[in-house]
Amino acid sequence: MRAWSLTSIALLCSIQLAGCITPTEPAELFQLTAESLQNRAMQTRLFETSHEKELLSASAAVLQDLGFQVEESVLDVGFLRATKERSAREYGQDIGRFFLFVLSLGKFIMPVDLHQKIAATLVARPIDPKGSSREIRIMFYRVVWKGDGQADRQYLPPGEQKMEMIRDPVLYQQFFAKLSKATFLEAFTL
Amino acid sequence: MKRRAVWGVILITGGLWAQGCAAPEPSQDLLAPTEAQMKIRSVQTRVFDIADRQQAMRGVITALQDLGFIVERANEPLGLVTAARFAEPNYYDVVGVTVTVRQETPERMMIRANAIFNNKPIEDPKVYQNFFATLERSLFINTNKDNTGEQSTPRQ
Repeated sequence: MRAWSLTSIALLCSIQLAGCITPTEPAELFQLTAESLQNRAMQTRLFETSHEKELLSASAAVLQDLGFQVEESVLDVGFLRATKERSAREYGQDIGRFFLFVLSLGKFIMPVDLHQKIAATLVARPIDPKGSSREIRIMFYRVVWKGDGQADRQYLPPGEQKMEMIRDPVLYQQFFAKLSKATFLEAFTL
Repeated sequence: MKRRAVWGVILITGGLWAQGCAAPEPSQDLLAPTEAQMKIRSVQTRVFDIADRQQAMRGVITALQDLGFIVERANEPLGLVTAARFAEPNYYDVVGVTVTVRQETPERMMIRANAIFNNKPIEDPKVYQNFFATLERSLFINTNKDNTGEQSTPRQ
C-alpha cells in the first residue's frame, strides 16, 4: 500500500516537472554554439558567380515555385523574405484529441494545430573582395496557431502560438538543388 | 467590545479601499534622459574602423544569421536591420533585436544594437558584449579600443 502511494507521488512529481522547461538566458542566445556552425553549414551554399542580382531573382523564382510569396526584398544588402500560409491539421493530433476526450470522460478537449505560416529569409553576399563568388544562406521557420479546446469547465480560447525553426536538412537540400538548376550553377557546400 | 471590533474592520477595509483608489501618477521625467539610459546607450553602441556602410550592414546581417536570428527587415538607406529569434528550447518567448549602422566619420562606422525579450528591453551588458563579439568576428576587423565607452555614444 505504502509502495503504491510512493509510486503515485513520484509519478505525479515527474509529470509536474515535465511541464517545466528552464527558460534560456538572453545572454546565451547571443552566443555562438556548436550547433550554430552546423546550422550554418546546412543553410549555406556557395555559387561561383559575380551577378548577385541574377542570383537573387533566381532565388525569388524558386521560392515562388515552392508556393512562397515574397514579402520583402532589399537589393542593396541582398535580402529576401517570403512566406506561405497553409493548414496545419494532422490526423494524428485529431486521433489523440478524441482519445483524450474519451479518457477524461468528456472533460478535456485538447487544442490541435490549425493554421501555420511558413517563412523563409534569404541573404546573398559576396565572400571575397573581388566578388567572384557569392554565398546564399536561407533559413526556414514556422509559426503554428492552435484551435480552441476545453479543460474541465474552462474554455481554452483559440490562437495559441507555437514558433519553431525548421531544421530538416532535406528541405534545404531541395531548395538548393532547385536553385542550382535555375541558375545553371553548381552549389558548393562550405 | 463587539462594536469596537466592527469599527476596526470598517476602518481597515476603508483603508484598503482608499489605497486601491490612489491612481499611480505618471512621473514627470518619464521622457527625460537619465544616467541609466546614458549607460545603457554606451553599452549598446560600438564604433568600428570600417568605411563602407553596406559592408558593415552585410556584416551585421551575417552575424545575426550566425547567431540563429531571422532577419525580418532591412533598410539600406537608413542602415537598419531588424531580426528576431525564438528563445529555444521554448516555443513562446521571442528575442528581438534592432541594429542601426551609422557613419560617424568617413572611415568609422557606429553600430548600435537594441535587444528586447518579449516586450521587455534587455539591459544586461553581457548580451551586448556577446553580440559585438560575434559581430567583430564576422566583420574580421578590430574595433578601435580608444573609441569604446564614453566617446562611442551617439552625438546629440
